Amino acid sequence: MRVAILCSSPYSETGCAVAARLAQVGYVPVGALTLPSWDRRTLLRKVGQWGMRDSLRYAVGKLAPGKSASTAAVRNPSLEKALRHKEGTFRNLREVARSFGFPVVTCGDQNSAGAIAQLKRWSPDVVIFTGGNILRDELLKVPRLGVLNSHLALLPEIRGMSSPEWSLLRGVPLGITIHFMDSGIDTGPILLRREFAGFDECNSLTDLRNQMIAEGVESIAEAVAGLDRGTLSAVSQVDQEKDSQFFVMHDALKSVAERRLKLCRVNPVAGWRDE
Amino acid sequence: MNHPEPSFNRTSTLMTRKIVRAMTEATGLLRAPIRVVPLFSKLSSDGLHATLAARHLYSYADTTVPTGDALRSVMGWIFDAQRPDGGIAAYYSLLTGYSESYPEVTGYIIPTWYDFGRGTNETAARPAAENATQWLLALQMPTGAFPGGLAVRDDDPQPSVFNSGQILQGLVRAYTESKQAEILERAVAVGDWLAAIQQADGSWTGPAAYQGNAHTYYSMVSWALAQLAEESKDARHAGAADRNIDWVLTHVQPSGWIEGINLRGHRTYLHFIAYVIQGMLECGILRRREDAIQSAAKSAWVLLRKFETHKRLLGTYEAGFKGGEHFACLTGNAQMSCVWLRLFEVTGDPRYLNAAMKMNELLKQALPVKGRRGVRGGVAGSYPIWGAYQPMRFISWGCKFMADALMLEQRLAREFEASECA
Repeated sequence: MRVAILCSSPYSETGCAVAARLAQVGYVPVGALTLPSWDRRTLLRKVGQWGMRDSLRYAVGKLAPGKSASTAAVRNPSLEKALRHKEGTFRNLREVARSFGFPVVTCGDQNSAGAIAQLKRWSPDVVIFTGGNILRDELLKVPRLGVLNSHLALLPEIRGMSSPEWSLLRGVPLGITIHFMDSGIDTGPILLRREFAGFDECNSLTDLRNQMIAEGVESIAEAVAGLDRGTLSAVSQVDQEKDSQFFVMHDALKSVAERRLKLCRVNPVAGWRDE
Repeated sequence: MNHPEPSFNRTSTLMTRKIVRAMTEATGLLRAPIRVVPLFSKLSSDGLHATLAARHLYSYADTTVPTGDALRSVMGWIFDAQRPDGGIAAYYSLLTGYSESYPEVTGYIIPTWYDFGRGTNETAARPAAENATQWLLALQMPTGAFPGGLAVRDDDPQPSVFNSGQILQGLVRAYTESKQAEILERAVAVGDWLAAIQQADGSWTGPAAYQGNAHTYYSMVSWALAQLAEESKDARHAGAADRNIDWVLTHVQPSGWIEGINLRGHRTYLHFIAYVIQGMLECGILRRREDAIQSAAKSAWVLLRKFETHKRLLGTYEAGFKGGEHFACLTGNAQMSCVWLRLFEVTGDPRYLNAAMKMNELLKQALPVKGRRGVRGGVAGSYPIWGAYQPMRFISWGCKFMADALMLEQRLAREFEASECA
């Protein structure tokens, strides 16, 4: 199984963890295509997504990881296991690539002709998307089987942004879905869908996200293995007509979601009550 | 319709009106050169903010201005805009200052005042609403109708369906608050007149309709009639509301777009689109019309998706919501916030609450927190202020809808949190 990886930055911990985990289970990537770490376009994209204040907060967190993640060497402590190696912890994609022997190519836009040509040269069976641009059809058609994404909610119930938070607020069980990407928002065929049971160890939404991301990395590895062995096959999403797309959640509602998370820890059944 | 000029149906043509208005505005600055300071201050701050906003550099997903503070600022603007006669000025122009009192807006600001007084224990709100009511009663015509346009000295006032409907909202609320029989009688007279001149198909056309044509945004009139029917228990009022909503529903397209706004010489501002949706929704709620609520929700959802995807709504839209002009019609934004909040209340879908909270953040960020009277706390017609809708003006109906949106958000967010804790 030839696997390629798309990353939002060489310093993306999720991207590094996916690459490392896949290599550990025997699927060394044929290559990783990443956006640059700090170019003008990336910066504007981040600011566009989050606004100026949150981007600044993110940048400060990135420059001073010790402050944001206590003693952990990584920003998401839940990924530490996947990122650990004999001499320490992988800090960026190039370290992972050096360790397992695969190329890393930087591109300004994942949909650019150059990026697509590079992907075609690698001729992957499957591409793993760990972040970056909105992918166009031309790129989605490059891998033989498709582009896989780990979505932090159960599909088709919760599509789009702030998905763990919306799951809590809508009374939908927390979960992870590994699905093929298509031109819609999280509407592609589902390969693997499972509820997330680890919420009882989460003290905050940040904790929850971190743990779900780590669970997503494991699920990606499992999905690739399943595809390779032929034990998993994708199932088209039903309910396509129903508009279950969700959008970035306002902070005030996030506070309510966090309270629900704490309620779920005490009494999961009460937490999943429907609206 | 919120165009505070004399009724169109008389002698003046559209072009003449535009020229006269532009000349009046331009000479306003000569009469009071001191206004050049707030004018340039607003132009420069909007220029900078709009440049950054166009690059999506603002987030509306967290609270930067407390809702209570913004509400007090906006209501402060409305209090300041009440003229000695009791009516509310249509606008404060950065070029010409305050306008004359505007009966239509004065009418539907009355419920906002009562709501504000209830929510904050502001003792000045109730007397302000009562003064406004008394002023309006003095303007009522013998037929029961209210005249269109600004409250200027006019020997030949012309009745207006839309303005009568909007004022009716205020009268009904004034009655429910005061229980004065005279106010109900006057409100019933408006309702009787509206029902009497309604066409068989449920629309309003003829000399009392703007430009003589039927308009789907007269769903706001249906809402007022449905409110009146709750108090008068008169089947004619309820029937007239239902008939108009039936007629409006025939104009709803599969895309959610609603035809029949039908304004010659005007762009299709978000304000008008939001009127149609808001009237249809509110009338649907009062009349328990699921078809009207569903249609309003469909159109509102199209706009919600646009707002969530692009972090803004356009100032105008073309048929089918396909494109439009790139400025913000803040009044329309505030109305959509009200619509989304009410849909959250009706459906329980928190995506509506989420979108409305973000829209309110956008509105709060565009609110001048300091400046002279007329500017501070004012909602501009357009953002940036030189946009096509009511340029260089802070408008009273924008403030009204923003205050409504903020009060609704406060109430529903409180209820939502309380239900979580229960």
